[in-house]
This record gives sequence, structure tokens and C-alpha cells, in this order.
Amino acid sequence: MLRIKNLSKKFGTFTAVDNINLKILKGDLYGFLGENGAGKTTTMKVIAGLYSPTSGKVLIDNIDIQSDPVTAKLNIGYIPDQPFLYDKLTGREFLYFSGGLYNLTRKNINDKIKEVVDILQIGSWIDKKTEEYSQGMKQRITIASAILHDPKLIILDEPMIGLDPQSALIVKNLLRKKASEGAAVFMSTHSLPVAEELCNRIGIIKNGRIIFEDNRDAVEMLKSNINSSFESLFLELTR
Amino acid sequence: MNTIIPHIYYYKLISFLKISCGKNIISVLKNAGTVLVYLFFGFGVYIFTQNTIEYLLEEIKIGSFLLHRFISVILFIFFLAVNVGNTVVSFSTLYKSKEVSFLITKPIEFRHVFFVKFLDNFFHSSTTLLLIIASVLLGYGSYFDMGIDFYLITLFFQIIPFMLTAACLGVILLMIILKLAEKFGVRKILAAISLLYFSSLILFFNVSNPVSLVTEVMKYYPDVDRYFGFLDNSLITLLPNFWISEAMYWVANNNYLKALPYFISQVGVAAFFLFLTIFLAKKWYYKTFVVSSQINFSYWKKEKRSAAILAFGKKSIFKPQLEIIIKKEFWLFFREPSQFLHMIVMLVLIGIFVASISSLDIKLLYAYNTNLRTIIYLIVFLFNVFLIASLALRFVFPLVSLEGQAYWKIRSSPVNSTKLLMTKFFTFLVILLSIGQLINFFSHLKYPFALTLASSINTFFVTVTLVSLNFGMGSLFANFGEKNPIKIASSQGASITFLFTIIYLIFLMIILFFPVHDFFYFSDTTHMAAGKLIQTSLLIGVVALFVMALSLNISSKSLKRDFL
Repeated sequence: MLRIKNLSKKFGTFTAVDNINLKILKGDLYGFLGENGAGKTTTMKVIAGLYSPTSGKVLIDNIDIQSDPVTAKLNIGYIPDQPFLYDKLTGREFLYFSGGLYNLTRKNINDKIKEVVDILQIGSWIDKKTEEYSQGMKQRITIASAILHDPKLIILDEPMIGLDPQSALIVKNLLRKKASEGAAVFMSTHSLPVAEELCNRIGIIKNGRIIFEDNRDAVEMLKSNINSSFESLFLELTR
Repeated sequence: MNTIIPHIYYYKLISFLKISCGKNIISVLKNAGTVLVYLFFGFGVYIFTQNTIEYLLEEIKIGSFLLHRFISVILFIFFLAVNVGNTVVSFSTLYKSKEVSFLITKPIEFRHVFFVKFLDNFFHSSTTLLLIIASVLLGYGSYFDMGIDFYLITLFFQIIPFMLTAACLGVILLMIILKLAEKFGVRKILAAISLLYFSSLILFFNVSNPVSLVTEVMKYYPDVDRYFGFLDNSLITLLPNFWISEAMYWVANNNYLKALPYFISQVGVAAFFLFLTIFLAKKWYYKTFVVSSQINFSYWKKEKRSAAILAFGKKSIFKPQLEIIIKKEFWLFFREPSQFLHMIVMLVLIGIFVASISSLDIKLLYAYNTNLRTIIYLIVFLFNVFLIASLALRFVFPLVSLEGQAYWKIRSSPVNSTKLLMTKFFTFLVILLSIGQLINFFSHLKYPFALTLASSINTFFVTVTLVSLNFGMGSLFANFGEKNPIKIASSQGASITFLFTIIYLIFLMIILFFPVHDFFYFSDTTHMAAGKLIQTSLLIGVVALFVMALSLNISSKSLKRDFL
């Protein structure tokens, strides 16, 4: 579903992402880990089309995001690290807006809004302006807007930040459901327990380079080999 | 001694210098370019002022008295611009900025927070206007062969106090609005304040009546260099704009003694209003700050969303993508108080201006010589264009920046950026074209048909140019991190755009002068005169197309840049 080939991104002389390669399949729940400034957000922004790569390619369902961005983006649902919304729109209006961007019909959007409001337990907040929302509620609306069109690839940059335990549980269940339905989920997180609990594949990035990439079983085996926790393993790898 | 204010300003200065003095080559080039544009602009205004005064006094022979009364009227409009600008901008800087939210949580007296932000506001919104005034002053002084003392005294004891008075009144008015809004509701207070402004403007134009003044003075032609103070209404003599023009008149006539009372009045009144502002801020600033944070949640909720034609849930004839982009623009505009309130204020001012000049008729256009008719026509056209330019700068320039940090949603969606660009551009172009044509129609009610038609075509092309220029420059200087549209419209990029606009206005005056002059000279039935008007319109049209193509190209590239 997502294929990254020799991707590099430079800002002036600083290399944020350095020649990385990744492949994420349908039904994968991929945890993308790394320290602050390792290159996680930059990688995700290139995949979402917010940055253009310095070199390399990003293919979404075999469509190059640079050469055919409109078609490629039809398959993406992107949730940024900071859930900036249009303050003066209500949650419902923002969802209408998001659905319209994907050319969904009004009936389709109405049905989907009912569904996501229910799944994400947004309740009566849906008709309040987003400027009145808490961080967690903004995050829920952002997630709702990203899954409205049933994307094949969901990209989440630190989705658990600012969420209370109830909200975090809702999001985790949603991601499991989406992956089980065949969507590929690419998620960056600082929360090692979340990655350990949720993801079937793990990748670790450091200084813009992928330093570890394998499935959950391999991670478990490594842990048992060195008789350590996932946290210790992560710290060891990123030292 | 208070050390907090210098302390805050020290770090604000460091921050400002670091932002504006980047060390990379692009930043240096950008800053050098900005300085060049400012210098070129200042020089242009200087030459333009000098030549205009020379033309008015030596060619048309309106006399020194009338010249200074025209200056007084222009200064009155300038006073209102600074006053209204400060009222609207203050709401953002004094009540809505993140810096205020930060400072208010620190152990600093509220009046000190107020003072820091008030000065911020004053310098921020007055720098470009001050540059224009300084250039005009140089042009004026150079024509009358004034010494350095004239420039210094006029700038520090007339112009700056005059602007300070306007700014203080604006901020006092804002505090009164918020104070009363708590008791009577925002709607009623805004309606009352608008009515008050409207009435005082009507009163000013009725009392000063420039048309009647010209007619009265011209009865003494050619002896028009005398002092006709007896024709002034006594109410007008109480206004600060009158004090400047009167002081300049007497200084130009080498009579400093007669000018002295006007200098004292100007400085005295400014000092009085500054102290009054600080005194009121000590009593009201924090209370009004609390009120301002509640307005968002109590007042705007009353909007009847379900009844609106453009509600997101309602069907429309457009395709979903186009529909939601237009609806988003509409709702974000009308739910942002600083956007639509400013628009209402500007439209009211435009309405008053158009109403006051719509009666300008044959009496002036045909009573005197061809040069005077030409000048009057060009001034009316210039004002029309200036109104469109102001609307474009205030509402079109910030368009791309106002996509804001939520732009990630559109950027990561399957939306063609060119389509987004075109939708935004043409939506606002159509609105401004309509306003431009209305202004043109009502301000040319009593003009010959051919001239009205030519003005209408020219206004069309000029609107296209100005909207394109502001859209392109707004994209080039896009700042997605700034939420405040007023700050965007008064940023460095906006100031450069404004200077380009003034240069364009001067270009228009130059290319229109001879065709319009010939039109009046040969009368409107001559084919040759009409032909020249058509040629000029074509030239304005070619410029419009060129600017539009260039601006859309710049905007397109800008929207494809990395979204940081």
C-alpha cells in the first residue's frame, strides 16, 4: 500500500531524512519510532504531500505522490501531530468540508458523520465551534475527518498526544478495526507501550536513517534474547 | 522607576532584529529590495507632491488658501484612517494576541501590558503612513523652499501628535465599546458607534463643504492668494487636521507667530489624550480584557446557522470540492469579527465618500478651465481606485495566509492547488469588481456618458490589476502562522504591496491625464479624444492581464512550496 524508495529530504544543509526505504502492506499497523528530531514527522509530511522530497519516491497504492498527487491523495487519511482546525467552523462543518475535499456526496457525508461521531464518541460537541474544543476533542475531529472517506492508508503523527485514557482507548480500537478491514496504518509515536500493544511491525529512525525495521515477532525475540523490556531495547538501539 | 516596559521592549527589539536581519543571502536580498522599494516610493511621492503643488498653484492658480484647505480635508480622511485602523487593530493586539495572554499571567501591572501593546500597535499601524506623510512633507517643503527646522517642527509637533491623538481616540473608543457591550450587548453598541461615526462624517462634509468653499473663493479670482479665513466654519477650526494645515499655511507665509498656537494646541491635545488613555486603561483594561474573551462565546452564538443559504448541509449547484471551498471562505470571513466588522466600516466609509461626491456636477466640471476639470476628474478617479486598493490590500492580500495552519487539511487532500487558487481568486475578484463598478457608477452620476463608460472600463481593469497584485504578493509573503488578518495586511509584504499600488496609481494619473484633458478640451463628441481614451483603456487592460498572469503564476508556485 505504501512504498518509500530511497527517500531523502534536506532543509538547506540539514538532512532530515536520509535515503530511507519502507514498504507497508494492507492490514499492517506500522509503528514508526524515534527520538525527537529523528525525522518521523518529516517523513510523514512527505508521504502526505506537505513536503516535496529532495530525492526518492513515495508510492501510495503504486501511485507516485509527486507525479500524480490528486489521485494518490484520494487513498490517504492524514492526521498531523498538531490538530490545527478552522476555529470558526463547527466540528460538523469541518467534517462536511473534509468530505467535500474528497468529492463525497452529501448523503454519504451525512451517513459517515453519524458513524464517526458514534465511533469516536464526539456527541454534542459536533455542533460547537472547534475553537471551544479541548486538545483531545480536536484530535478526535481530526481523526474523524481523516477516516471519513475510508482511506486505504492512514498516516498518524503522534495520535495519542493530549488524549485522556478513554480517548486513547477509542483511538486504539479504531485503528485495530481499520487495520482488520484492510487499511494500512502508519503511525509515529513516542509511547513505546502503545507501539508494543498495537503494532504488528516496528520501524525505528535515527538521524534520518532507519536503524531497525522488523515485525512484532522479531521484536519479541530480540527482547527475550537480551532479557529486556521494549523500552530498554529502544534505548539501546537509539543510543 | 518602572523597569518592566524597557525590559519587555529590549527582548521585543532582539526578536524583531533576528526576524528582520536574517544572515542568509535571500534574506539580505529581500531586505535590501524592501529598502530600495521604500526609497523609490518615497522619492516618487516627493516628486509627485512637488509637481502637484506646482501645478495647482501655478497652472490652475487655486491659491495658497485653497491648497491648504484641500490639505486639511485630506488630513481629515487620514485622521479617520488612523483612528479606525487603530480601533480595529487594537482589538487584535490589545485583547487577542498570544503575547497579551502570556504577559497577563505574569506579575506585571495591567496598565504596563496595555502600554507596551498600545505602543506596539501605534508603531505597527503607523509606520507606512508616516513614510508617506514624510515624503509629502518633503515635497511640500521643497516647493516652498523651507529649512530643516520646518520639517522637524512639523513632524514632531504636528504630524506625530496628530497621529497619536487619532490612535488614542481609537483605543479609548474600543475600551468604551467593550465596557458598554457588557451591559447592552455588542450589536447595539456597534450600531450606535457606527451611527455616531456616520453622523460626524456627514456633519464634517456639510460644515466644511469643500465645493461651496471653492466656489466662494473663486469669486475673488484672480486674487485668490489672500487669506479667506472668514469663510471657514468655526466648528472646523476646532479640529486637529485644520491646525496642521493652518500652521503650514502661516509657516509657508513666514509667519511663525500665527502658526504657534496651532503647534501648542496639537501637542497639548495629544498629551491630554495620551494621559486620558493611560488613565482609562488603568481602570478598564483588565475588565475589558475579560469581556473580550467572553464575546466569542456569547455574541456569535446567536447566528442563525440553519437558515443560512450557504450552510454546509444545504445542497448547491456546484461540485462538492468547489462548493465547500466557497462555503469555507464565506463562513470563516463572516465569523471572524475583525474581518467582517472591518469590511462594514470600510463599506460605510466608501458609501459616505461616494454619496458626498455623487453630487459633484457640471457646476465644477464646466464652470472653470479644462485643467481644473481634468484635475477634478482624475482626483475622483484616483479616490475610487484608492478605495478599491484599500479593500484589496485589507481583504485580498491576507487570503493565502489565512488558509492558516489548518491548510494541512487541503494540502493533504486530493485537491488541485490551481483549482483552489482560482476559486479563491475569482470569488474575491467578482466581489471587488462589483464594488468597483458601483463606486464608479455612483461617483460619475453627473458626468458625460463617454467618460463614465471609459471610467467603468478602466475601473474594471484596475480592479483586476489590484486584486491580482495583492493576491500574488500575499502568496509570495504568505505567513500561515499568523491568524490575525489585520497584522497580515500591515506586514512588511503588505507595505511593499501598498507602495507598488501607489506607484501604479501615479502611473494611472500620468497615462490618463492627456486623454482626459483632450476629451474636455475638444468636447466629448470628437472622435480623436475618444480614440485616445480607448487607447489608454487598452494599455490599462494589457497591464491588468500581465499582472494577473504573473500573480497567478507566483501564487501557484507559492502554494506548492513545503508547508512548514
